[in-house]
Amino acid sequence: MSMRIPGRLITEALKNLFKKRATILYPYRELDKIHLPEGFRGRIEFDRAKCIGCQLCFRVCPAKAIEMIEDEKGKRPIFYIYRCIYCAQCVEVCPTKAIGMSKIFENIALRKEDMVVK
Amino acid sequence: MSFEIPIGPQHPIHVEPLMLRLSVEGELIVDVDVDVSYIHRGIEKALEVRPYIQGLYLVERICGICNAAHSLCYCLNVEQLLGKEAPPRAKYLRIVVEELSRIHSHLLWLGHYFHTLGFETLFMYFWRDRERVMDMLELITGNRVTTAYNTIGGVRRDLTPEVEQKLRRTLDYIEERMRYYEKVIDSEPTILARTQGVGILKPSDAVRLGVVGPHLRASGIKHDVRLDDPYSGHDEIPFNVITWDTCDCYARVKVRIKEVHECVNMIRYALDHMPSGDYRLKIPPFFKAPPGESLSRVEAPRGELVHYSISDGSDRPYRYRVRTPTLANLLSVVEMLKSRDGYEVYIADVPAILGGIDPCICCSARVVVADEARRRRTVMTLDDIIRISRDRGVERR
Amino acid sequence: MIEKILATIFFPGAVFLLAVSLFYEWVDRKLYARFQNRVGPHLAGPFGLLQPVADFIKLLSKEDIVPMAADRLLFTLTPILASALTLFACMFLPIAGPTGIISFKGDLIVVIALLSIYTITVYLAGEGSNNRFASIGAERAALQLIGYEIPLTLSLLSAAIAAGSLSVGGIVEAQAERGLWLIVGPQSIGFAIFVISSQAEMKRIPFDIPEAEQEIVAGWEVEYSGRRLALFRLSKDLELILLSGLGAAIFLGGPIGPVIPGLEPMLYTIYFILKSLIVLAIFTLVRALFARLRIDQMEFFSWKYLMPLAVILIILTEVIV
Repeated sequence: MSMRIPGRLITEALKNLFKKRATILYPYRELDKIHLPEGFRGRIEFDRAKCIGCQLCFRVCPAKAIEMIEDEKGKRPIFYIYRCIYCAQCVEVCPTKAIGMSKIFENIALRKEDMVVK
Repeated sequence: MSFEIPIGPQHPIHVEPLMLRLSVEGELIVDVDVDVSYIHRGIEKALEVRPYIQGLYLVERICGICNAAHSLCYCLNVEQLLGKEAPPRAKYLRIVVEELSRIHSHLLWLGHYFHTLGFETLFMYFWRDRERVMDMLELITGNRVTTAYNTIGGVRRDLTPEVEQKLRRTLDYIEERMRYYEKVIDSEPTILARTQGVGILKPSDAVRLGVVGPHLRASGIKHDVRLDDPYSGHDEIPFNVITWDTCDCYARVKVRIKEVHECVNMIRYALDHMPSGDYRLKIPPFFKAPPGESLSRVEAPRGELVHYSISDGSDRPYRYRVRTPTLANLLSVVEMLKSRDGYEVYIADVPAILGGIDPCICCSARVVVADEARRRRTVMTLDDIIRISRDRGVERR
Repeated sequence: MIEKILATIFFPGAVFLLAVSLFYEWVDRKLYARFQNRVGPHLAGPFGLLQPVADFIKLLSKEDIVPMAADRLLFTLTPILASALTLFACMFLPIAGPTGIISFKGDLIVVIALLSIYTITVYLAGEGSNNRFASIGAERAALQLIGYEIPLTLSLLSAAIAAGSLSVGGIVEAQAERGLWLIVGPQSIGFAIFVISSQAEMKRIPFDIPEAEQEIVAGWEVEYSGRRLALFRLSKDLELILLSGLGAAIFLGGPIGPVIPGLEPMLYTIYFILKSLIVLAIFTLVRALFARLRIDQMEFFSWKYLMPLAVILIILTEVIV
């Protein structure tokens, strides 16, 4: 047990005066300082060419963020980003790897129509 | 003459709503009343209408900080129902993320605790170091908080050597910082004055009130689910169960700081002795679980977490029940907050005592009323728990 | 006569003091943040210099709610009284010359008395709010006054004994004559006691017990909003100037320093501000290093350690001088 010296933090506090700050000044200045790792679960990306319309992603989504619609090639999902919880279960379950997750994490928009990935 | 002070439901020391009605005379607290129902979200009901694979992500969101523990407990539960076991590599990977999330939770708690004691500098330092741990979690699992790492049958991603390198460097950094903080905390008279002798919970009371986790270990009782009931390869990894004998808030701080060191050692051992092979079993996403029931326990950062489920043969659970550690620890707060002969509690001690149990109230508002009959039992066997859940389930039908 | 009035209103009077108090708040917040490895204010104005101004203006524009059962007279009077008292006490500081705008024999005692009346105003503010948290905060403020007032007075009085004068201007002149700051010598103990007691006076960590955010929400100022809260915050900033300026004037020699030709008229102010910034930096450092004490622990600490030390200091000063 060390002695009771009040204010032991003083060396650390004074050192911190001269060290660089730990804060990243996002979003005003230092946007480039945000490092996102590979495998970061961001916004959904969808490749229409690979989709076979098996509906597995629609059945597995916990937040009901996926809806199946018909287009000229057959059934395909559309993704509602405002419901997505970024769990990546649809990515895992897709047999043709048509769904992926990008590194975009600023997923807001002013209209609901912009929050749909087609 | 006493008057009532409400601490809550909204109060700067509460991260979630909790009602503590104190009766005070001057600065001395004479009586306490607790109400914990402000954040009931109906998760157990929501789990009954979702297939198992969807329920996994819901369970993870019961608590933001213990999310690894909740999802691990769920996976163990469902694996038990299916009669399967995760492969050895998955067990060790699960330990790595679980212990990393325990480090994260303890750092968060330490920062928040010192903030409630008024020591903002240490709060900022602890949370700065916590950012490094969260960056590690992001690297391994893809997200800082809701890690979604466990899945039924194993884990979802593997650990690459580059990630392992960075993890080891972060562990070294965390270990060195914790040693420094321990020195500071041991020698700072203001911290010692606010935590020593405050919030005494005698070991006999702790056992009687059913307290779990680091709170129990700070009263000198050696009980840890990882030791008593190893669930994911913990019997192969050596670790110490930290206890401290002074039974006050200082003990709670010490236990958690030393537990961080233990977590670092466990992760290093797991990384050094990582078995090779598959990291998940091939289980289809939609399956029907055979009828039966299962109970799984996990040592969450706050204590013993219990999940109990009944399956009726379909692809959803018939009944799912979660007992979180904070619910068990809250009764002890009532006990610790009352002034008795020779033991005085001031209003200024409320943050120290309430914070000392590491309250995660959003976890605990699962069942609204604590039954008087249940409170009188001192020991509950598995059969008791099953019988009570089953009776409640039948009533609900 | 006109000169005196202009001095009281503009420089170094009300306008100057108000501007400098907002600057001191910026220094305090920025330093505190840098100790904690953070940024501090950085958006409003260059380096965030205008942040306290922005906060003040924002508060002025908010709705001013008076609780129904609160004492209207006390509720309205106490903010005005608090800022007026501190502003008045700042007039005694030697900012633009070896003496303040107001100076007479014994004005040190008046400054100390003004500080005590300020705390009583805080007590009235809390009690007049008709709120449990405010009552507890007010009661704690009064208890704290009992703890720190005597050591504060004794430390200032021992400096007065060493200098041989009971007025702030007189102490500054005594330091100028000797060519030695009072802090060199036994008065350094007095300076330490002064720093600790002023932290308690200003209700900052480790003694921010009356406004403990985490225990009783905002303590005595919990019901104030809008203009009234703006005036209370202003009085806190003015207290920063008052106590750091008092420390600089009495222990560090105030506006006295080596003469630089060409800068003659501004020299007094420059030295005064530099020295009080040093004292402010010490205040901020103390604020960053400790946890908050409980009220009974604060009283024990004050009466077991500070008081005897202050008495020993007085005896030492009598013996040596």
